[in-house]
Amino acid sequence: METGKRKKIFIADDDRDILQIMHLMLQTKPYEVETTSNAKNIFEFEKDLPDLILLDIWMSGVDGREICSQLKKNERTKNIPVIFISANSNIKKIAEQYHADGYIAKPFEMEYFLSKIDDMLGAERPVEPVGI
Amino acid sequence: MEATAKKNEDFFAEIEELKSQLEEAQDTIEAIRSGEVDAFVVKNDNGHRLYTLKSADQTYRIFIEKMTEGAVTVNQDGIILYSNTSFANMVNLPLGKVLGFHFDEFIPGESRASVQQLVKDAWNEEKKAEILLPGKDKKPLPVLLSLNSLEIDGGIALSIIVTDLSYQKETEQQLKQKNKELEEAQLVTKHLNAQLEQTVKERTNELFESREHFKFLADNIPTIVWTANAKGVIDYFNNRWFEYTGEEKMNSANDLLCCLHEDDKEKYIALWTEAVALGTPFEMVHRFKKADGEYRWHFSHALPFKNNVEVVTWFGISTDIDDQQRAIERKDEFISIASHELKTPVTSIKGYVQILRFNFEREGNTVAAELLARVDNQINKLSTLINDLLDVRKIENGQFQFHESVFDFNELVNEVVEETGRALVDRNIVCELDHTRQVKGDRNKIGQVISNFIDNAGKYSPADTSIFVRTTNNGNSIKLMVQDFGMGIPKDQQSKVFERFFRVTGEAENTYAGLGLGLYISAEIMKRHEGCIGLISDKGKGSTFYFELKRAD
Repeated sequence: METGKRKKIFIADDDRDILQIMHLMLQTKPYEVETTSNAKNIFEFEKDLPDLILLDIWMSGVDGREICSQLKKNERTKNIPVIFISANSNIKKIAEQYHADGYIAKPFEMEYFLSKIDDMLGAERPVEPVGI
Repeated sequence: MEATAKKNEDFFAEIEELKSQLEEAQDTIEAIRSGEVDAFVVKNDNGHRLYTLKSADQTYRIFIEKMTEGAVTVNQDGIILYSNTSFANMVNLPLGKVLGFHFDEFIPGESRASVQQLVKDAWNEEKKAEILLPGKDKKPLPVLLSLNSLEIDGGIALSIIVTDLSYQKETEQQLKQKNKELEEAQLVTKHLNAQLEQTVKERTNELFESREHFKFLADNIPTIVWTANAKGVIDYFNNRWFEYTGEEKMNSANDLLCCLHEDDKEKYIALWTEAVALGTPFEMVHRFKKADGEYRWHFSHALPFKNNVEVVTWFGISTDIDDQQRAIERKDEFISIASHELKTPVTSIKGYVQILRFNFEREGNTVAAELLARVDNQINKLSTLINDLLDVRKIENGQFQFHESVFDFNELVNEVVEETGRALVDRNIVCELDHTRQVKGDRNKIGQVISNFIDNAGKYSPADTSIFVRTTNNGNSIKLMVQDFGMGIPKDQQSKVFERFFRVTGEAENTYAGLGLGLYISAEIMKRHEGCIGLISDKGKGSTFYFELKRAD
C-alpha cells in the first residue's frame, strides 16, 4: 500500500441515493471516494487500485457475490479488502461464504459505518507485491 | 264246652308238632348249608322220602353259599329245594321263608307269567331273562335269571342263578346318563360351532365389507394411502399411488423408497425405522417422484394400529402439499424480497437524516438535530419491525441462525440501555447491575431481547415513570430483569405473552403499536440459548420481564 496518499474507497451499489449517502458520509473523512452504479466497472482498474471496496450484493443484474469471488481470484485484486453492504438478512453468512473481509447491514448507523471503514483501512494487512 | 276244650288241645298238639317240624327243617337246612349233611329224609303224605345231595361237594356248597349271586334249585313243581343266603337277602326274607316255597311267590305279579313260561322252557334249554324283584325298602332290584336244568340224584332240578344287576344297572344308568350328558354337550358344542361358524361367516363378511369400504374409500381419495406390516414392510398402496407413480402394480416392498427424492431418503429411513422400532407415529415432509419425473412435496403421516400388546399394522397417508409448500416458499420469498425492498428506502431515509443531523450538529442547530434524532429513532423502529418479520420467518423455517461468542454481559446491557434510552427520553432508566460476568451466546440476539424488554417497558408505561434494568448473579447463571410501572398484564394473559402475534387485549388494546412478534422472538432466542424467560406482573402495577442465562466464566 502506498503511503502519503489519501486512501481510496471504491463503492458499487445500484441505488444512486445510497451511493450519494455513503459518499456524503465519507466526505467527513479524508478518503478519496469513487462510486459506480455498475459494478462491472470494477474490473476496469488499470493503475489506481482502491484500498477498499464496498460492494452491494444485489445490483440489478449484477451479483455482488460473484464480483467478490472474481476479485479474490485475481492476483492483482485479491488483497483489496471487500466489504459487503446489503439489506440481505443473511449478509453475515454470505460474507463468510464468499470470503469478503467484512459486512455492513442496511440500514446502518453513520457512526458505525465510518468506524467500520476506519477499522478496515487502519488495520495492518499482509500485502503481496501487486506488480504495478 | 268239653268239645271246645278238646279242640284246643288238638290245636296245641298240632302247633307243637308243627313247631317241632319247623325246628327240624331249620336244623336240616342249616346242616345242608353248612355241609354237615349230604342227605336228608322228608316226610310227606306219601311217606318218607330221602333227598340226597349226591353230587354236592362241601366245598362247592360253601362256595355257592358264599357267592354274591343268588342260587336256587327248584323241582318240577317250582318248589324251592335249595336257596343260598344271597337269594334270601335279595328277596329280603329269612331263609326259612324261602325254602320249600314256590319260586313264583318271589316274582312280582307283572313278571310272573313270563317267568312261569321261562321256567317251563328252561327244563328243555338254558334260559336267561332280566326281571325286577321287590328288593329292600320297596326298591325294585334288577336281576338276571339264568335257568338251567340239572340232573340231581337221578331226578331233574332246575338251577336258577340270580345275579344282582343293580350295580350294573346303576353303572349302565350312569353310563347312559353320561352318554346323555355327552350327547347334550355334543349338541351344545354343535350348536356353539354352528353359532361360531355363523359369527365367523358374519365377521368375515363384515371384514370383507370393511376391507372393501376401506379400499373403496382409499381408492377414491386424492391422497396416497398405504399400509405396512408390523415390521414396517409396505403391503398395500391405493389407486392414487399407482396413478401418481405411473406404476401398474406393486413391484417390491421398496417401491416407496424408490420414489423418494435422493435428498430425503436418509432422513426418511431413519425416522421410519425409529417409528417402527418404538411403535410411535411417523411424520415427515418429503418429495415423491411423479410418473412424469417431477418431484412433488408430500406430508406423510403413519399411525400404528395396535392390539392390546403390539403393533398389528401401520396405516399411512401421504398428502400432496406441493402447492402449499410452493405457496409457503413464495410467501417466504415475498417476505424476504419485501423486507429487502423496504430496507432499501429505509437505508436512504436513514442515511439522509443522519447526514442532515450531522450537518445541523456541526452548525450548532441543536433543535433541528434533535428533531432529526427523533426521526432516526422512528426509522430504527421501522427497521426492527422489518427484522422481526424476517426473524419469524426464519424461526418457522428452522433458519434462525446464531453466531456464538463469549462476551461481557454488563457491557452489552449498558450498550443496549444507551441505545434504546435515546428513544425513551421521557423515561428514567435506572441500571442496577451486579458484578459483570462472561456469557456465551449470540451477542446481537441477546441484545435484541434486552432491547425488546426495554422497548416494551417504554411502550406500556406512562411518561415520567422509571424503568429499572437489573442484573443478579445466581450460582452459575445470570439474570436480567426489566421492571416498569405501567398497565401490567392480567394473570389470564400472562402465559400467552410469548406466543406469536400476542397483544394485550383490553380497553386500550389498539392504542399500542406493534405486531406482537418481539416477545415470541425473544422466547425463541432464549430457548436456543437454553435459558429461561418469564414475567411477573400485576394488572395496574406494572410488569417485570426477565431472562436467565448460564454464565461462561
